[in-house]
Amino acid sequence: MKKFLALILTLAMVLAACSFAVADDLPTITIMFHGSNVSDDSAVLEKVNEYIADKVGAKLEVIWGTWGDFDEKAVNVLTSGDKDVDMVFTCSWSADEYNSYAKKGYFLKLDDLIEAYGADLKAAIPESLMQAATIEGAEGKGIYAVNGFKDTATQNTWDVNVTLLNELGYTVDDLKAKGFFGWDEIFAKAKEVKGDSFYPFLVEPMVAERMVTNSIIVAGDAGSTNLLSLYLNPDDVSADGAYGNKLLNKFATPEYKAFVDQMHKYYEAGYIDPALSVAETSNDARTNHQKDASYLIGTQSYAFGYEFSADVLARGVEVQFVPCTTPYVDTTASQGAMMAINSASEHPEESFKFLALLNSDPVLMTLMNYGVEGIHYTLNDDGLVVFNDDARATYSPWTNGMGNVTILPDTASEGAGFRKSFQEYYAGALGIPSLGFVFDNSPVENEMAALGNVAAQYALALDCGAVDPETELPAFLAALDAAGMQTYLDAANTQLDAYLAK
Amino acid sequence: MTAITPPARKKIKAGSFSLNRFSTRTQALFHVILLLFSLLCIIPFIFVIIIAFSSEDSIRQIGYSFTPISWSTDAFAYTFKLGNALWRSYLNSFLITIVGTVLSVAMTVLYAYPLYRRDYKYRKFFNFLSFFTMIFGGGLVPTYVICKSVLGLSDNYAALIVPMLFSPFNVIIMRTFLQTTVPPELIEAATIDGSGEYSTLLRIVLPVVKPGIATIALLVSLAYWNEWFLSLLYLNKNMSIMPLQYLLMRMQRNADFLAKNSSMLGADASKAAAQLPSQSLKMALVVFIVIPIACAYPFFQRYVIAGLTIGSVKG
Repeated sequence: MKKFLALILTLAMVLAACSFAVADDLPTITIMFHGSNVSDDSAVLEKVNEYIADKVGAKLEVIWGTWGDFDEKAVNVLTSGDKDVDMVFTCSWSADEYNSYAKKGYFLKLDDLIEAYGADLKAAIPESLMQAATIEGAEGKGIYAVNGFKDTATQNTWDVNVTLLNELGYTVDDLKAKGFFGWDEIFAKAKEVKGDSFYPFLVEPMVAERMVTNSIIVAGDAGSTNLLSLYLNPDDVSADGAYGNKLLNKFATPEYKAFVDQMHKYYEAGYIDPALSVAETSNDARTNHQKDASYLIGTQSYAFGYEFSADVLARGVEVQFVPCTTPYVDTTASQGAMMAINSASEHPEESFKFLALLNSDPVLMTLMNYGVEGIHYTLNDDGLVVFNDDARATYSPWTNGMGNVTILPDTASEGAGFRKSFQEYYAGALGIPSLGFVFDNSPVENEMAALGNVAAQYALALDCGAVDPETELPAFLAALDAAGMQTYLDAANTQLDAYLAK
Repeated sequence: MTAITPPARKKIKAGSFSLNRFSTRTQALFHVILLLFSLLCIIPFIFVIIIAFSSEDSIRQIGYSFTPISWSTDAFAYTFKLGNALWRSYLNSFLITIVGTVLSVAMTVLYAYPLYRRDYKYRKFFNFLSFFTMIFGGGLVPTYVICKSVLGLSDNYAALIVPMLFSPFNVIIMRTFLQTTVPPELIEAATIDGSGEYSTLLRIVLPVVKPGIATIALLVSLAYWNEWFLSLLYLNKNMSIMPLQYLLMRMQRNADFLAKNSSMLGADASKAAAQLPSQSLKMALVVFIVIPIACAYPFFQRYVIAGLTIGSVKG
């Protein structure tokens, strides 16, 4: 009897296994995103899997990485060769460094796959972005990630509270005419009208520094406090700047000295919130002042259409973003959000097909990014997307982190034709002369770590004007020199020269 | 120190009959010191509660303050709106802590007991085996590979419990506790009376080392309750088993990341920062996290204090 039962059980199990295999023969591919705020993806994934079953031949699963945990997760997945994750977000501005990971062999070289399955992808993404993704990796020069078409150019702007400015009797043109070094009078007036606890100048210190001195971020430089600096030509971003194509210690230039002197004057006069000068409180304070519209002039690294975004509209005042330069394409911005395929993946073809489809097919991109029509959004009479806030609270991925956002439909708050203008705006952006250069910091890693620590100690307070540049700046420069700034600079310049010579 | 002793001596000379008694002045001094110490412990928590009930406007205008401009229960209203996500993670925290503590204590005792027994032949080897891991760790990535690929600890409760089951530090505490409170004679007596190994451990030794077990249980349950890193590592798709600590930690880490990278991310960072939960919400979650463990503490404390004074052999 027992043997008989065992036989039947075995048979049943074999049959069950067979029926499973028949119903579920599509492989599962897993993608890991950055910056998501997603707690319920069931409705979306059901639709997506229905849609991609024939086109990709796989089932999709998603790991919704958040801002805070993505870096750590991605490093673990990639370094441990975890084959359960097929596609990973990457970029050039965070710890998930595209260039260094490709060099270490964590990412699959995609050139062959693009050749085989990438016709639609190539048509959907500008050639310049493909070029920006072409780098020297573990398997030689090639493309190691699908580059997302988003706000691929950088543009820093003064974020002006126009309502208040007009109340004070000035116009945006007055601001432009007076320039950063001549705003004393306007700030003094604001302080007089709005009271002593009002801080008119809402800076993000590092950004303000770049705006005033026309310096830009060099890809591969030390993390959040950049040390190196290239100088832009503010009138024509594709032409050489004041110092040509040479990397400088940004803190040692006369431009920087002039900037921090002026900031110190503004700070001493009480125009800048002291909370902005402390790393721990800086961002919170900035967000809070923006929410309250309790500022006159701020800084904002701008993306086309930002004035229509919910958080700007919620400020309840008229806001205008006054650009310092035309948008420029640099290496950092052109590798801003990409999707790479894990070299340990067992389904590279399906993964690539999915990425190609995601970046070229509006239906899939809309589904993944905005959710399901009728649940996460509805279309109004003009055919514009109106979000359902409750449903979006459980499903809002990072729009720009997903890929080609130019194929998304227009939303009601952005207005009809927004994505088309967006596309044109960035398609027309000019590249800087050294576009594509990435500093390989591995030979000077130790210097970089030491310099980063020194900069973290001094730079924010100086940029914000909280300390006296007469005493602090020389101390800062001396500390940088002691930490090996010259070695670091020489290494960077040698590499840049070699790059430009090619 | 010198300020404390003289009056005590004086009191004794004056004919006080109890040697264990402190003078009124000394007692007052001790009271003041302990009062200040208690305040140091309690005030931050009260501050957290006040912030949790402060209105967002107040925090924006004057920052954290004991006397906010206006009060609000928005943060708590919002946590209740988080609904399932919050309660499920709360429940997960309890489940992980309770199961983890029971298993971990069982393992610790079962490992420490043979190490305490002098008649155990491989005592030195197993002692070394656990001690060795205290000094040399495998590193994050190898640990991750073993846990995920070999042990299958991924997206399940086991992933949040198993990696922390065994702590050599706790084994050493337990072993030392056994050595100091359970004399070998007790085991011999039990054996002579016909007790087998299991019954000796369960009926004779365990009741004696209850305070030691309570101490370990307290340490382990605190560790499990506060754990969030395992969730970060091993939870990818199945977020429904996330503990409360990780829910809170994620909010904090998101804010930190955006602060650090805002100059790189530009408008996206501003958009994301605007969506972040408010300061008062974070504090409300801290209140949720602290209350259970604060309630559990007194129960453990009884045993921990008892552990200092009680042994199996009196006199």
